[in-house]
Amino acid sequence: MSDDRPQRRPRATALDETDHRIIEVLARDGRAQSTTIGEELGLSGNLVANRIRAMDAGGLMRVVAVADYRIHGYRMVARIRLQVTGRAPIEVAREMAQREDVLSVHITSGRYPVSCLYAFHNAREMLEAVRNASADIAGVEDVDVELVNNVYRYVPAVGPLGT
Amino acid sequence: MPMETPEYPTTDQLDRDIALMLAQDARLSFRKIAADLGVTEGTVRGRVKRLQGAGLLKLVPIIDIDRARDAGTGGQGSGQHMMFVTVRCASGKLNHVREALLAIPQVSALYDANATPRLVAVCILPSLDDAAIVMNQILSLDGIREAESELVLQSVKYNAAIGPIATLEDLTRQSTD
Repeated sequence: MSDDRPQRRPRATALDETDHRIIEVLARDGRAQSTTIGEELGLSGNLVANRIRAMDAGGLMRVVAVADYRIHGYRMVARIRLQVTGRAPIEVAREMAQREDVLSVHITSGRYPVSCLYAFHNAREMLEAVRNASADIAGVEDVDVELVNNVYRYVPAVGPLGT
Repeated sequence: MPMETPEYPTTDQLDRDIALMLAQDARLSFRKIAADLGVTEGTVRGRVKRLQGAGLLKLVPIIDIDRARDAGTGGQGSGQHMMFVTVRCASGKLNHVREALLAIPQVSALYDANATPRLVAVCILPSLDDAAIVMNQILSLDGIREAESELVLQSVKYNAAIGPIATLEDLTRQSTD
């Protein structure tokens, strides 16, 4: 390696080695102080603080709090997948995205091209949502319901922050 | 590992308000949160600690999947593709298959679903080659009847703040404390 020191920057457009090392520390403790991170990595606290702000400003990385659905009063979460015919899946996806309790909507390469993560306060809400999806949304041919039971791993390292 | 899902610790409106304030910026000062919500800084600290201990709140750095891809930062940590793999297991093989899936580092989330022995793995992959590698690994596992892969082509909506994040391990640890 050359003697290039990690530089300050106003707004990051790509993650470099220094950024990745900072992110590794944040993965262990999302609220670690800049000075503490700096001590561990041999960087100044100011530089670490600057890098974290720059990654945020550039939309590359953000430290967020992810809450379990139970905190927000939901009792169940299901992945609802929709099979679509005679209509572009993106149109169905946009309709689903407007529902407040739909947490995420992806278009996938699978047999069910619209995949939604949907949260419910009770079983009746879920049954109604499934019935509505097939009855009220044009182009929905079939609905598959995957009720989340036990979670064995959850490492939210990457996500579409921009949408 | 017990098959019964343990009880969840109860949460209230203050827990929800704190979670919402931290959702946008998990590094927000506890002093600011306390002032906004009209409680003491110690209360906020205590609530966050309790929720984190129960696995109900996780303060984590998230790398943007699209920008990381555009910037061409391959390699460590910067995943670029998301893939769901739904696995139907042969009877009596659920535990075996689950442990095998947890051994695959690209599997970033894993849960079981429905009454049928179905496991769903969410994979984060630096390239499409990795999708092939992971599928080859999964389909070679003993005890699998069927594995269906779905590559995410586009994200129309994504709420990073809420999800099924408390693992069985988190909840079990909580109930034995």
